[in-house]
This record gives sequence, structure tokens and C-alpha cells, in this order.
Amino acid sequence: MASSPGKNADNGVVEFQFYKPDNRTKWEAFQKAIYDKSSNQFLGRTPKSWGQLLVFYSIFYIVLAALFAICMQGLFATLHEREPKWKLGSSLIGDNPGLGFRPISNKTEEGSLIWYNVTNATTSEKWIKFVDDFLIPYRQNQSDKNFVDCNFTSPPPEGEVCRATPDQFENCSPERKYGYGGMSPCIFLKLNRIIDWKPKYFTSPQKGMPQELSSYIEKLEIANSTERRIWVSCNGVNDVDKESIKGFNYYPKGFASFYYPFKNVKNYLSPIVAVELIDVRPNIVILVECRAWASNVKYVGGTLNRAGSVTFEIQVDGAYENPSLKTAKSAKIEATIKPENKTDAVPTTLAPASSSQATTTVVNASTI
Amino acid sequence: MTSKGKLNIDEHGRSDSYRVATIPSNYDDNKTADGRPKSRRKVKKIRKADDLDDLKQELDIDYHKISPEELYQRFQTHPENGLSHAKAKENLDRDGPNALTPPKTTPEWVKFCKNLFGGFALLLWIGAILCFIAYSIQASTVEEPADDNLYLGVVLAAVVIVTGIFSYYQESKSSKIMESFKNMVPQFATVLREGEKLTLRAEDLVLGDVVEVKFGDRIPADIRIIETRGFKVDNSSLTGESEPQSRSPDFTHENPLETKNLAFFSTNAVEGTAKGVVISCGDNTVMGRIAGLASGLDTGETPIAKEIHHFIQLITGVAVFLGVTFFVIAFILGYHWLDAVIFLIGIIVANVPEGLLATVTVCLTLTAKRMASKNCLVKNLEAVETLGSTSTICSDKTGTLTQNRMTVAHMWFDNQIIEADTTEDQSGVQYDRTSPGFKALSRIATLCNRAEFKPGQDGVAILKREVNGDASEAALLKCMELALGDIMSIRRKNKKVCEIPFNSTNKYQVSVHENEDPNDPRHILVMKGAPERILERCNTIFICGKEKVLDEEMKEAFNNAYLELGGLGERVLGFCDFMMPSDKYPIGFKFNSDDANFPLDGLRFVGLMSMIDPPRAAVPDAVAKCRSAGIKVIMVTGDHPITAKAIAKSVGIISEGNETVEDIAQRLNIPVSEVNPREAKAAVVHGSDLRDLSSDQLDEILRYHTEIVFARTSPQQKLIIVEGCQRMGAIVAVTGDGVNDSPALKKADIGVAMGIAGSDVSKQAADMILLDDNFASIVTGVEEGRLIFDNLKKSIAYTLTSNIPEISPFLAFILCDIPLPLGTVTILCIDLGTDMVPAISLAYEEAESDIMKRPPRDPQNDKLVNDRLISMAYGQIGMIQAAAGFFVYFVIMAENGFLPMKLFGIRKQWDSKAVNDLTDSYGQEWTYRDRKTLEYTCHTAFFVSIVVVQWADLIICKTRRNSIVHQGMRNWALNFGLIFETALAAFLSYTPGMDKGLRMFPLKFVWWLPAIPFMLSIFIYDEVRRFYLRRCPGGWLEQETYY
Repeated sequence: MASSPGKNADNGVVEFQFYKPDNRTKWEAFQKAIYDKSSNQFLGRTPKSWGQLLVFYSIFYIVLAALFAICMQGLFATLHEREPKWKLGSSLIGDNPGLGFRPISNKTEEGSLIWYNVTNATTSEKWIKFVDDFLIPYRQNQSDKNFVDCNFTSPPPEGEVCRATPDQFENCSPERKYGYGGMSPCIFLKLNRIIDWKPKYFTSPQKGMPQELSSYIEKLEIANSTERRIWVSCNGVNDVDKESIKGFNYYPKGFASFYYPFKNVKNYLSPIVAVELIDVRPNIVILVECRAWASNVKYVGGTLNRAGSVTFEIQVDGAYENPSLKTAKSAKIEATIKPENKTDAVPTTLAPASSSQATTTVVNASTI
Repeated sequence: MTSKGKLNIDEHGRSDSYRVATIPSNYDDNKTADGRPKSRRKVKKIRKADDLDDLKQELDIDYHKISPEELYQRFQTHPENGLSHAKAKENLDRDGPNALTPPKTTPEWVKFCKNLFGGFALLLWIGAILCFIAYSIQASTVEEPADDNLYLGVVLAAVVIVTGIFSYYQESKSSKIMESFKNMVPQFATVLREGEKLTLRAEDLVLGDVVEVKFGDRIPADIRIIETRGFKVDNSSLTGESEPQSRSPDFTHENPLETKNLAFFSTNAVEGTAKGVVISCGDNTVMGRIAGLASGLDTGETPIAKEIHHFIQLITGVAVFLGVTFFVIAFILGYHWLDAVIFLIGIIVANVPEGLLATVTVCLTLTAKRMASKNCLVKNLEAVETLGSTSTICSDKTGTLTQNRMTVAHMWFDNQIIEADTTEDQSGVQYDRTSPGFKALSRIATLCNRAEFKPGQDGVAILKREVNGDASEAALLKCMELALGDIMSIRRKNKKVCEIPFNSTNKYQVSVHENEDPNDPRHILVMKGAPERILERCNTIFICGKEKVLDEEMKEAFNNAYLELGGLGERVLGFCDFMMPSDKYPIGFKFNSDDANFPLDGLRFVGLMSMIDPPRAAVPDAVAKCRSAGIKVIMVTGDHPITAKAIAKSVGIISEGNETVEDIAQRLNIPVSEVNPREAKAAVVHGSDLRDLSSDQLDEILRYHTEIVFARTSPQQKLIIVEGCQRMGAIVAVTGDGVNDSPALKKADIGVAMGIAGSDVSKQAADMILLDDNFASIVTGVEEGRLIFDNLKKSIAYTLTSNIPEISPFLAFILCDIPLPLGTVTILCIDLGTDMVPAISLAYEEAESDIMKRPPRDPQNDKLVNDRLISMAYGQIGMIQAAAGFFVYFVIMAENGFLPMKLFGIRKQWDSKAVNDLTDSYGQEWTYRDRKTLEYTCHTAFFVSIVVVQWADLIICKTRRNSIVHQGMRNWALNFGLIFETALAAFLSYTPGMDKGLRMFPLKFVWWLPAIPFMLSIFIYDEVRRFYLRRCPGGWLEQETYY
């Protein structure tokens, strides 16, 4: 009987075997679980067992990786080199390009805020550097390679791209430090590239266009000009913002038609519009929105779902500080961002900036 | 009318009966069965423990010893007049109503909270709280925090609350069925007060009341008998004795439970009338004390609760390990510590299978419903699985294994033993009803019988009809009704002219009848009684139609038959008759029963009939099934060893050919003490022996005997036996119907009470109720329990698998700085949407093999969720699924312009709202909105591909060993699940407006396809794996991957 306790001969099923309960303390059990000397087990397995498991999983993952690699190869086989599989409406990029702006901080935490202190050259140097970097491709030698001169009547031939140089920016020229020496900084707009997207241009003024732009288009219309552009306009988002900027200068007024459509031809350069923000009110954050005007650019405002537009913030500190104008908000931002500058801001504001371009701006500003 | 059994069992005879056990030896040392301290709560509540100890003490009263006069004086009562109204009122005010205090019902809100915060729900709550913490960290540091964490926290909380309400609703539904059992009919008692006979509600009885009880009544309180007329009580619900016990005013035994002059609350009067004085009421009654003991016992966790506990530990372990690992990695990668904390929380929360709680609850509910339709009502959802884990069943005999109804089992006439059909539906063997021997015997059994069917039972099967009268006479009546037909008309034809009823001194019953044969003017005298007494009165014996002289040879034959039937545990009656000569006793002769003026000697012996409470028809089969399922069936009864052993043998608890120590001793003709107990497979243990056993000795009995019968056990001893089995690691089911079973029912891992015959107390204590009182339903319960355990494994394996493709995108997001491939919303759509129906449908899966042919699971090693399951789900299938998801992600990104290499490191730019012109691999520039649309489309596609690979996962989870070809796709719930998840995924992707609500975007049809190679490889991989499992049983692959 003792030899086969619980064995039921009739059906071969072994009845439940009573066991002796585990009397080890938790600590002993834990020690055993880590390393069991009697069976040479680490964490419940012998080295051999660990090895077997390792080999099994290695093989498993190698095979899985191979399968994944084969699938990826299959994917790459279906892709084209110069253009994606899906374009325009069938791609998720859609056919409604947005705008991009420069300069933009390389730190994403700073978001779209452009902040500098006119009295502190190092703060504006940063932005000048960003713009310089942005314009490097435009400054390269465009006489060789596949660059051609284009105008509104002669778009580039297949496989060639139009020249785009940073020399018509007038007030926003590098010589004037793109305006970052004074109160009228420039930002640079470009229309997002979408392969094969063809703009439909406005040749007559549209509702909502700024007066200046409308009259410009009207003039072109009357002159029966061939100038076709995707027009650009900027404005403050809220009334406060609108009041805080005296005006905008666009160099040029829009993105020239001969740059479109974008075909991902090598060396292609996007057209740029430089926008001068004239006489920004100092020491407050101003929210600015710029939009592109074309009949197939749908405009949606806002920060998250915007389309056909872009928003950014700008704050210029330090010039002719007028305590009554200074809002509590800007004071707070100033205090948090550059507290050390505040102390030396007062003595330096009185001294005009050394560069001549900066002086003009300051003079302009002081006439308000 | 004692049974022959008495001859054999003098060493533990009937006299020192089951009550030996109301002993304090089982002192509650506040340790559980396996020696660990019981809950801390109980240590604090010393008072409660004291009360419990008190209940375990022997009943110590002297009301039965004192003289009636002293009794009247003590209670200031009078046998004829009863109490005065004033005194009765005073007593009632002092002692309260004569009713059992209902067991403390847990307040509804506590039950609700248990459902809301118990076990798995707690894990989800912690997850939800972590989410809120993460959200508040974000909210306090970032201006526009992502509301994902808030969202997730709210959803988690909602899931727990909804599931909690659901399971609370389920439980309250079963408890409503429970309440319907409660006997709503108020009981009445006839009481003498101030000389008046009053009918009062039983609750209004007080100490000292003089009550009258008649057959059919329930004894309204514990009473001291002062007057009886053939009074018998059925103590079976209290003691398990199947035979009615006679009661008289005589003090016969020191033990209050043994003496004849006490009758106990809630037992039934079956015969005669009695008058008695109430000596204890309500909770102080014997029944009240046992009920109190039962309700005071602590019950441990159910096996499934333990498994879920273990599962939570495992999941938490994995979650914390992953979380901390990536916390450290995030630090090394130079993330801000706050970001790292949010990642940590995110990873931990992502590991929580949100839908699993609901899945498990619904699976258990489905099984509970299915069991209820098979007459197993489960009171507590978790108990559904317990029967499946059960390794030992301790079954009560009376009313559970047996019909609790005396039935004629054997007859001896014409010098041969005839077996009568004892089955409930008369499907057994039939005997020859034409022989003259049977005719003579049946005439006596019909006429010398006072029992009558209660009126108005025409539609009821004969064996189930209720009878007025003694249990053995009822048995004879039913047997004869079956054999001869309308007994009442036979009795009318043979008019009774005189009768001497049974009494304990002459031990026979005799009646004289007119002859139904009009040509035969002779009277018939019929007599039945204790066989040896009957034989003494006979000169001749009726054999094969001839009257023979009763010689020594015939006496020898009689003795053998008597011994044989007695040895079967049956109650034997002898029958004789006599045709009275018509000259001496003509028609119209005045027979005098008080002073018998007719012969009572020199009669003609006809035969013997023996009765037993027979086993239920389905029981032997059920016991055999339990055994083939590796479950040990132990009989624990308050009844006598001989009867218990006979029933045990007839139902297969002691299988054929297995001997007890006593049997071996008898066979070898050596003293019991010389037999090696290890040689006997079977054991019959008497309650009085059990009292002397140490717990080690009890363990030894339980360990070394496969077939055990415990007889004459007290409620407390039943408890000790259950605790003994539990101490050995067994999961114990107890079946019982009586009050005496209720402590054991409560202590058992699962107590199974009888729905029809069961007492209220036993139903209260039980976890499960057999609505049809059929022991065979237990087999159904075991089967369903085992099936749900297997299917829960499959369901959990299925649900856990998708955890890997859900977590890995977030990890890649942190490690590789890629745009997030799968968002929180989509994860929730999988866990609470597409995965739910398929996971639940696995509960409908058929068993892979005969689950009743394998041993019960080992609660130590065979876990619901083990490392192999985690290894399979997380390490293997989950990884393939993740690969499928990432492949789809790369496909969509690449086809829209972002080649895989471009994605690495792009995250910050990608997620920056300021960046409105992110360049892709083809020079296109993406606005924030467009690339978020792209990202969410990737989420949707990742989600869809998880659904696609979950198709394969669902199909492979159908079986753990068999091929799907073998298992088939007959589970229509599962097939529906496949269609449902696909339809839901399509709905979520294509319904307009989903982009706003759930950020799900419509997919191109081709984006459903990239997951298909991975789906196929999952299917093929697992089929191959299972092929090797079957081919090399016990091999390495099985050890490492069979969950």
C-alpha cells in the first residue's frame, strides 16, 4: 500500500497526492529562489536551463528579425526614390500646404517664441545665426548645377530648378542683421513643399486681404501683369497684438509662381518671403499669424489645427522702456527668462546701438 | 426493533454515539489548518474567539437528569396548566424570541465595496491613481498637458466601477434565490398557558412553556419530554442518523444529546405525540449552537482568488521591472527626471490589462449561469472554479448520498434472499411477485401496517409520496404499493378486527383481519417485529408454498439470512402469520387487544424484510466519475459505522475488494491490533476513535487510506476532518444537508448544500447549492470548474499577448525618439473593445481532452498564470504581434514620405506645435496638423494590425495542446468574436467623426494587409509548437512553453 499511495488501479488516474506544507520562512524561500545550492539553480533555473532558454529565444528572435527584415525589404521594393508612394490628396500630407517661419529656436521647449533684448547683442545674435544658417543654401553658388533663372513667363525646364537668392530682402537684409538689432525684426516665411502641388493664384483682391495687398493685386490686374504669386499677409492674432505692431513689410509680396510645382528635383530651393514687423511694441509677447493666399490654400487659423497659415510669438525687450506700457505678464516673462538682464537694462537703453541700421529703427520707434 | 448491527459493533456501539465529539479538544489556537496564524483581525477580537470556543464546548445541562417536579419548580411551570401569561411575558422580555439569530449579514455597501476594491480591481485602482498622479505632475509643469493620462485614469476607474457593479449585481441575484429558500411559512406551536391550550408562533415560546407536539410537527425548541405516546423524532438533520429515534420521559443517558427524554429544536416529530417543557430557546438550543459555530468560522480565500492574487503579483512584477528599467534608461538618455517619472508611470499603467477584470468576471458569470441551469447554484462567483480544483470531497451520507427515505432493500422468503428495487425511479431489477412465499409475505406486510399515504398525492411517484407513520412501515407500505397496487382497497377487503400496536417490551406488532376470500371464514393473524422475537413465536415455516416444521436447519438458514442482511447495515423485520381456525374464532368473534384472547405462539414464519435508506441512483456513477477524475471521496456521517460502510460500499466509496483493517482481521482471524494498517486501503473510522487521534495520526489515516468512511462524527469532528485534509494541501469540498454539516460546509474550500432537503443553516454556510439534491450534479460542477480554469488560462493568454504590442510603441517612442506609433486611446480600444468579446468567447471553448480523466490540479504548482504563459504571451506571440504593428507603422510612414531612418530622433520636432514645416525623406514639408493626422493614422493602422494578429492569437489560444484541426471551429461565440472584433475595428476606423472623438482615421484597404504575414507566422509557429508538444510529451518545449 505504501508503495503506491493513492494509485487507483481501475483507471490509471492518480489521486491527489497529499503533500507536506512548506515551512520555510519567506527569507529562506527568497534565498532559495535567488540561488539554490542543492540544485545549483539561479533564479529557479540551472545554468544549463538558462542556456537552453537563451538559445531558444535567440533563435526565435533571429527568425523574427529575419521575417521583419524581409517584410521591410518588400516595403522598400515598392517605394520610389524621388517621390513617395502617395501624393497630394491620397497622401496624408494633403493638398493644402501650410507655412513655415524662420528663425525658430532649436529648442522645441521654447516653442515658436522669438525673444531678444535690443540692448543685449548676445540675445539677438542667436536669432541672426538661425537666419544665417537658414539662408546658407540660398547663398551658395547657384551658377552651376541645375540652377536656371526663372521669371513669371519662363518656368524652369524639367530637371532644373529656379535660382533663389537672398538679395531682395531690403530692410531684412543680412547687413541690417535682419532687423534684429532694433525694434523691427524680420521673419522669413516659406510655403510648405508638397510634391506636385500646383497653386491656383488669386489675380483679384479677396475679402480679408489687407488693404495694401489688395491694392497691389489690383494694380497688377489693371496692368495685366503676368506676375502670379501666392500672396502672403501677416497680422496680430488678437486686437492687442494688432495694436502692438505698426505694420508689415513683405519682400516680396508672395511666393513666385515659377517655383511651383515642387517635383523634388535636386537642389530645389523654396521661395522665401521676408516679413518685416515694423515697430514692435517692446516688452510684451505678441502673437502673429501669417497666411498664404491662393484659391487652393484653405485657411484655418489657430495653433493646433491651423492650415494654410502659421503663428508665432515675438517679444522684443529693453527699448525705451515705458513702465506704464509694461504689462504684468511681460514683466513676469522677463523676470523668468532673463532676470540678470533687467538690472543692466536701464543704463544701456539710453545708449544708442552702434550700428547705423539699428539707429534708424530706434529713431523710427522713438517717433511713435 | 433494533437492528442486527448492534451485535457487531459493541466496541463502539450505538450507545456512545456521535456526540462523543462535542469535545473541547479542538481548542481554537487561532491557527489555520496548516499551522499558520489565522487573520490578525481575529486575534484582536478575543471575545469573538471566546464565543467560538464556548460553542465548541460540550453541551452541559442537567435538565434531563432532574426529576420532573424539580424541573417544574425551576421554571415555575406546571405540567397541566403551563406558565402563567405574566411569567411567559417576563421570560420573553428577558430571553427574547425563540428564533435563531440570523448570521450577521454583511451590509450591502460592504459587499459592494468588496466587489469594487477586491483583488484585481485594486490593481486597476492603483493604475488609475498613478495616471492621475502623472497627470497632475504634467499639469503643474506644462502649460497645456496632454490629457491622455487623465483620460486613461478616468477610463480605468470607470472599468473598475462598471465591473464592480456587474459582479455585485450577479452576486445579489444569487443571494435573492437564496432568500427564496427561506421558509416563510411561520411555525406554530401548541402551548399550555394558565391551563389553556394556545396556538402560538414558535418565536413566542419561552423557557418553561409546556408544549404539545404531534407527528409531522417540527420541534419548536429544545424540550424535556414529560409525556409521550409512541413518540419518535427524526434527528437526521442534527446528527445524521437516518432512523427515527424514539423518545420517552425516561432519563436514559448522562449525555443530554443521547438521553431519550430530550427532543431538539428543528428536528421533526415523525410519529406519535408528546408533551414537554421548553428548556432552551433560540440560539441556546443545540441547533443554535451549531449554527453559531458555523457562522463564527473564518473561511479562507477561494483557490481562484489565490490564483488571481498570484497573477497580480506576476503582472505587477513585470510592470515594475519594465517601468524601473526604462526609468533608468530614460535617465541615461538624458530625459528630465519628471519626464522619466511620467514614463515610469506610463509603462506601469500600460502593463495593466484593463479588460481582464471584466473578462474574468464575465467568464465566471457565464459558467455560473451554465451551472445554475444544471442545478448547481453558486452563491459566490469565485466558487465557480473551486469545484474544479477540488481534490477531496467529504460527503455527508444521509440525504446527500442517500435518499433519506427508508426503503425495502431485501426480502428473505422461500429460503432465499431477494433484492428489492431501491432506485428512485424503479429502474432496478424486478423480482418474482407470483411465488406463494412472496404472496404470504406481502399480505402480512400490507395488513400488519398502520402507515397510510397522506391524501392528495395522486400524481406523485409512489416512492416520493409522503406517509403518515413510522419510517419502516412507510417503507413497507411503498414496497407493497409498488408490488400489489392499491393497498388501501386490499386493507378494506381484509377488514382489521383487532390490533396490538408495537411496544418496546414485546417488540412486535400484531393484527387480526377478516379474510378477503368469501369462501374462507377464517381470520388471519399477521405479526411483524424483531426477527428473533418473531421466530420464537413460530413452530412452522412457510417454504415454497408448503408449511414445514421449523427445525434447526431452518433456524440456521434464518440466522444466516438475518446476519447477512444485518451486515448490510439494514434494519431487519421478521414476519409471520396464522390462519385462525374458524371454529374457535368465527366471524364476529370479539377479539380483545388489551388482554389478548387469541394465540400469539405457534405461528407460521414467512420471511424477513430488510430496509435501508438507499443510495440515490446517480451516486455510484458520480462517485466513480469523481474517482476517475482523481478526486478522493470521503464519507463523513453521523450515522452508524455498519450502515455507513454498507452505503459506502454500495456507492463505491469503498470499492469492491478493498478491505478495512477489521475486514482483514476477520479474514485472517487475527486480532485487529495485529493487522498492519498500511495493508488496508479502506478505513472506517469511528467518531469515538477520532476523538483520541492526534492530528498526526489523522494525517496518517488521510494519507495512507484511499477509501475512508468516518462514522458517528459530530459537527466539530467533521470540521477537524476538513481541516485535516486542508492541512495536507487538499482543496476540500464538503457536501451536506444537515445542521450538523454546516460548520464543515463553512470551513471547506467549497461547501455544497442540498437545495430541497437541506436545512437553512446548511444553505447559509454553503458556497454552492445543488437545487435538485443530486450528488451527480457535483460531477457537473467539477467538470465546469475544470473547464473554466482551462478556459480562463486561454482567455488570459489571449488578453495578455496584446500587451506587448501595446507597450512596445511607447518604449520605442522613449528609446528611439520616433513619433508615437500607438496611442493611449487606441490601446483602450483594444483592451476594452476589440479584445473583450473574443476573450470572453474563449469561456465557451470545449475541453481539449476528457478533463474528467485527469487528476485535479496541484494548487502549489499548477497555476492559473505561470511563467510559461507569460513567456508565451509576452516573449513569443506578443513579440510577433509587436513586429506586425511596427511594420504597418513603417509602411504608412514610408508610403507617406517618412522613411524609417528619418523617423529616428525626430520626435521632438514632430511633437512641437511650433514646427509647421517638418521635412520628410522626399523634401515635403509637413504642418503640425498633417503630421499628427499621419501619426493618428499610424495609431489606427497599428490598432488594426493588432486586431489582425489577434485573429491568429485567438485561434491558437483555443487549444493548448491539440491542433486546431482537431479542435475545430465549432465555438460559435468565438467565431462571432472574430467577426465582431474585425467589424468593431472597421467601425472605429471608418465612421465619420471618429477622427474628432477618438482620433482614429480611415485606413486605405492595403494598410490592413501588412500584418497578415505576421498573423500567418503566429498561426504556423504555434501549430508547429503544439505539434512538437504532442509528439514529445514532457520534452523541453513542453516544460518551457506549455501553460
